[in-house]
Amino acid sequence: MRLISMQNSVPVSDDLHYRPVAKRARGSGKIAGRALVLLASLGFMLVLLIQILHTTGAMTAGFSDWRPILIAYLVWAIAFGVGQVLTRGEHGQRALFLLPAVFFTVAVVIFPTIFGIYIASLDWNLSSIEGPRFSGFDNVRGMLNDTYYWNALGNMVFYTAAVLGEYAIAFGLALLLSAEIRARKFFRVVFLLPMMLSPVAVSWMIGKSLMEYRFGPAATLARYLGWDNPAFFASPWMARFSIQAMDAWVSIPFIMIILLAGLQAMPKEVQEAAKVDGANGWQSFWHVTFPIMLPVSITVLIIRIIFKLKLADLVINVTAGGPGGATDTVSSFIYRVYRDRSNVGYGTALAMVYLLMIIVLLTVLLRLSKRWTQKVV
Amino acid sequence: MVNQHDQHPAMHPSRRTVLKSAAGAAALGTSGALGSFSEVAFAQANLRAEITKIPGVGKGAPTDADWQKVGELCLGPTKASIKEGEFKGVELSFMGLNNQNLHNLLFRGFLKPWEAYTGAKISWIDLAQADYNPRLQQAIATGTVDFDILEMGAPFEGDVCGKGLASEMPDWVKKQIDVDDYVDYLKPPVGTWNGKTYRVTIDGDCHNFNYRTDVFSDATLAKAWKDAGNSTEWGVPKTWQQVQAVTKFLKGKKIKNQNAFGYLDAPKPWGGFGFYFLGSRASAYAKHPDDKAWLFDIDTMKPRINNPAWVRAIQDVIDALPFEPADQLNADPNTTGFQQFLAGIGSMIPWWGDIGQVAKASDTSVIGDVVAFDILPGSDDVYNSKTGKWDKLSSGPNHAPNCAYLGWGVYVMARVNGDEKKHKAAWSAAAHLGGKDLSLWMVMYPSGFQAHRTSHFQYDEWVAAGYDRKYITSYLNSQLASYNHPNRAVEPRIPGIFQYYSIAEDELTKIFAGKVDAQTGANNIAAAWEKLTDQIGRERQIGLYKASLGV
Repeated sequence: MRLISMQNSVPVSDDLHYRPVAKRARGSGKIAGRALVLLASLGFMLVLLIQILHTTGAMTAGFSDWRPILIAYLVWAIAFGVGQVLTRGEHGQRALFLLPAVFFTVAVVIFPTIFGIYIASLDWNLSSIEGPRFSGFDNVRGMLNDTYYWNALGNMVFYTAAVLGEYAIAFGLALLLSAEIRARKFFRVVFLLPMMLSPVAVSWMIGKSLMEYRFGPAATLARYLGWDNPAFFASPWMARFSIQAMDAWVSIPFIMIILLAGLQAMPKEVQEAAKVDGANGWQSFWHVTFPIMLPVSITVLIIRIIFKLKLADLVINVTAGGPGGATDTVSSFIYRVYRDRSNVGYGTALAMVYLLMIIVLLTVLLRLSKRWTQKVV
Repeated sequence: MVNQHDQHPAMHPSRRTVLKSAAGAAALGTSGALGSFSEVAFAQANLRAEITKIPGVGKGAPTDADWQKVGELCLGPTKASIKEGEFKGVELSFMGLNNQNLHNLLFRGFLKPWEAYTGAKISWIDLAQADYNPRLQQAIATGTVDFDILEMGAPFEGDVCGKGLASEMPDWVKKQIDVDDYVDYLKPPVGTWNGKTYRVTIDGDCHNFNYRTDVFSDATLAKAWKDAGNSTEWGVPKTWQQVQAVTKFLKGKKIKNQNAFGYLDAPKPWGGFGFYFLGSRASAYAKHPDDKAWLFDIDTMKPRINNPAWVRAIQDVIDALPFEPADQLNADPNTTGFQQFLAGIGSMIPWWGDIGQVAKASDTSVIGDVVAFDILPGSDDVYNSKTGKWDKLSSGPNHAPNCAYLGWGVYVMARVNGDEKKHKAAWSAAAHLGGKDLSLWMVMYPSGFQAHRTSHFQYDEWVAAGYDRKYITSYLNSQLASYNHPNRAVEPRIPGIFQYYSIAEDELTKIFAGKVDAQTGANNIAAAWEKLTDQIGRERQIGLYKASLGV
């Protein structure tokens, strides 16, 4: 075996030293390539300029909609790809593997984000006859004094902190389902069911039916247990906890399934070694299982926090943010500003600032998690 | 004189002249000259009697088959002006609501026979109530109107007709749908813009007062009311002061072995529409008979929401909520109307006429035999914004029915104007939906639409359809008295009106949850409304507000 392995290692070693010689483009090709890219770029810029001037009313000629600009962008992208091949030869051909993804990302992520920033700088109410007006940072300044936004952010702190509770429950369930229990496969499927439900369906099935004050089974049970007025959404903290409970019910299976996958991938020898060394159940979990699971845990926590920061559907359907803004989330508030009040500029500004906050928060979390996992490992 | 004398013998009936006349009449009948007139009159009366028995009041909720049947029977006016297959190849897009499985769902059924006859094809854009406003506003603002026919409320006329997006109603449509039959408060300026008519009215909207007759005729409650030291007789409240007293009294009482509750407030936001319910509590306080305005100062658009009248109405809600069901804070108008009142909870609510329609004709109601109607309660005193004082009127309590929303209409969009065939098809479809006979059926059965034509107030037709005379008289009288009330509080048809309402709803929920007091919250709403008026354009809003009030 060793001989075979050594024999195999030789060509591998040769492969490592192998450096393919890229075919270089010829001089005439280079010129043609550059000319093509230049022409395509000029053409694209010209079409774009005409349409901008037409839209702003500076000239009458132009297109009735922006679809020709999209076509011009596609033509320019193709010309750019061809230009790369002509100019850079095989290097250009390699770039073709990457360019479609780059152009696609520019079209559906980068451009909309930049355009969103532009919209965020407008004073634009859909009912205003004058249409959008540039207002610089007015929307952001308005946000700083908006008590509804800050109230919603405060609620987000609660909802986000509650992810730790969801994680603890999910870890417990994952440990149970990874153990040798009866009907394990059945329970795995059953526990996953809530995740398969749409939050809108959950809003109606749980929030507006099961927890309904008059006829809901949960309310009836609560009355039977001695709670006279089981109103789950009438007082601020009760409503907040009720929304959180529904969201947890939908989301815990997601955390659980990721943790379960991590537990099953964990080498059994490590736990057996701990057992041999005399560790009890808690010690084995706290000193062995938990640290090994930390990278998986942090990954799932970060994903879950991202989802949590977008919480809106349950709140919109069940409480509409009430009572008194107690359950409002940033997304449900933006929904009202944008959809109920047609305040496009301000709504977009709120969303952009929130996006920035999420990016900063997650960057910090990722850095911290890197440190923690390095320490443990 | 000679002539007169000479005429007498001729006018005197003799056997010969009678026989001659009879022969002439028979000839007319045979030729159709007289027959066509009498046939039309009889046929219309028969048609109205026939359609209003589909499926029959108290015989379950109407189905799609019923809607199609009614649509088929009401095709007469279409057949008179359109040839069979005339619109073959025409495709129309219709945007409307799907609330409570009504509106568009009914229109589909009504228009199916119209499609089969004319050859046109309609595709549907169904929207939930909450999605309606943003979808419409986005289409307007981005110039992406993708529908040819639109179901729309009068409050949006400023946004749509004011921007030239609607098609002007042709004269033949006015004739076909008989626009003169509309009740007065729905006649122009409603449905018009700059003197042009745009709307086929299919609904009349006004909040009326729905109450439980069994509660207010209950002997045990009457005794308890007296025992509690009340000097007045136990009965249906006529003023908001009485509504408050009854609501507080009923807490802890029983009716038919169930907990009794008085008035039901709707504090949870409902996409802006919830604000109407505070408006109904406030109109008697805030709408002075000498002042057409009640929501804003007419010359400046300065909000009145934080004046003593509105603050008193807000305070009434705060005071009443502890005496209402425990989860009332999480109840929107849909909950109070359809999950509470129709299910037997609570004894008084303001609502549009849907409650009266559904209470009797729908399977979901348990109160069909114990519900009656009136105009909204009044107030012993009314706030005078001009003097800043509360007035007591010599005529008694001030009543001001809240003409909320002014009803739904069908509008044809201007984008069909370039295509004559499509233009005619779109207007024909709209005219079919707004037809005089079809509209009678719509207002009698669960449809989302209420009485809006003078011809809808022929009580015998309702009784013939199966309605109890006492019940329907109470229902229709409450509607008619609201429509014709001299001090009615009229909805402002200004652009962005639902933005004002939505902002108010947000602040009101804070007030009702106890986070701020009534005056502070009302001041916050006023400040936000001022900002919004500036954003939309104050001068233009002032002009439109005046126009909407007919000033």
